[in-house]
Amino acid sequence: MRAMTSASRAAAAAASILTSLLVQASLIGPLTFPVPVSLPALLVIVVAIYAGPGTGLAMGFVSGLLADLGSDHPAGVQALCWMGAGLLAGIMGGLATERGYRARGVAVLAAGIGAVTAWSVGLFLAVLGSHAATIGLAFRSVIPVGLTDALLALALVPVVRAVLQAQGVRAPRPRGELVIRSYASD
Amino acid sequence: MRRLTRRQQLAAVALTVVALLFVSLDFAGGSLSNARGGVTGALGSLYRGTDAVFGPARRFVQGIPDVAGNRREIARLQQQNQQLRQQVRDQATDAATGRQLDRLQLQASAAGWTVLPARVIATGPGAGFQWTVTVDVGSRDKVVAGQTVTDGHGLVGRVVAVYASSSTVLLAADPTFGVGARDTRSGQLMLAKGAGSAGLTGAPLDESAVLKVGDRLVTGPAGETTFVSGIDVGTVYSVTRSADGTVRVSIRPAAGQTGLDLLGIVTVHSRTAPRPTIGPNQ
Repeated sequence: MRAMTSASRAAAAAASILTSLLVQASLIGPLTFPVPVSLPALLVIVVAIYAGPGTGLAMGFVSGLLADLGSDHPAGVQALCWMGAGLLAGIMGGLATERGYRARGVAVLAAGIGAVTAWSVGLFLAVLGSHAATIGLAFRSVIPVGLTDALLALALVPVVRAVLQAQGVRAPRPRGELVIRSYASD
Repeated sequence: MRRLTRRQQLAAVALTVVALLFVSLDFAGGSLSNARGGVTGALGSLYRGTDAVFGPARRFVQGIPDVAGNRREIARLQQQNQQLRQQVRDQATDAATGRQLDRLQLQASAAGWTVLPARVIATGPGAGFQWTVTVDVGSRDKVVAGQTVTDGHGLVGRVVAVYASSSTVLLAADPTFGVGARDTRSGQLMLAKGAGSAGLTGAPLDESAVLKVGDRLVTGPAGETTFVSGIDVGTVYSVTRSADGTVRVSIRPAAGQTGLDLLGIVTVHSRTAPRPTIGPNQ
């Protein structure tokens, strides 16, 4: 049963990564140009907020590496940055879930992390001398990316939450253990 | 705040090292070209499929900011198109005018005349005649009544009324029009008269003259004619002889009587040099 759930979660993650990459290339990227908004990165962040840093780490690395290999800049840059974003979102997501953030709160948190991620990717690429990437552009795009990410996250958060709660994808709950203590009367 | 487990910490470190390895490998050379080609190929074919679905929506959204601009652009292009069409029409008209001017120039040069170009600006009855046209030159251009009018091919008519900036030309087809004509084949003289849409009719001065279909007629002397001599009047297309022996010919005018546009009014037709005399060889 546990193996079945892991396979379902992996398949759901692969499908969502692929879908987000395709939607990014065909819809989000052209519509938001020249603001470097990234739907896959935002997806990694939102999933990590709910599912934890382990999932964010793995999903960020895989989707970032795929995006790197499908583009013309040095491979590994987005893998590293999105992995960091997944890790950060996973850690900070605990705070959000503990405090019972609603969708809007999670969207704002995801947008903030998304803006930082876009900034780090732009900075990394500028340092590596990748074409069209400059340090100034990385700084200038932080606020537009944050605002656009917030709008996208408002639509993305309910979807991700619904998928993660779906039967077969939901994370297995820790088993409860019955602790029986005997109190011997002295 | 969540905390990383030991395994997650190890995984994070390992994946960071792997990512940096990818960066350094790719930055140093092209060792990842196969992996890039595979991913690009797979994603590319999927992207084409996705674009078929999202493409129309994307293009619609992308076009929204340009709607107002597109309207202005369409209006500008329509106006430009109209101007270009007008230019094409003007060019065709200019070419026709150029050909007519060439004909007038050729005729004037060959005959030693001075011809004043005049454009037809009105047609219809005028100055008491049925078949007339009004041209855009008048007394200011030194046009006087009685001057011969040609279209470069043949006789069109003569000026019958002159105003400051326009003149009335009586066309050869008008029933009141008459011109002396000479048969270029036989040399016979005749008086050609307008016959409306039938062209002209003529009767030779010598009733025994032999005229044939196809004979070419040019302006010649007849009474106190003021026409410039030697201009094509037309071609004989029928010859009839009545019972009393009178010969009448029907003439197809050399110059069309309808559809006239650019005409030439012969203003000067005098010789500039004295005519040489003929005598025994010296």
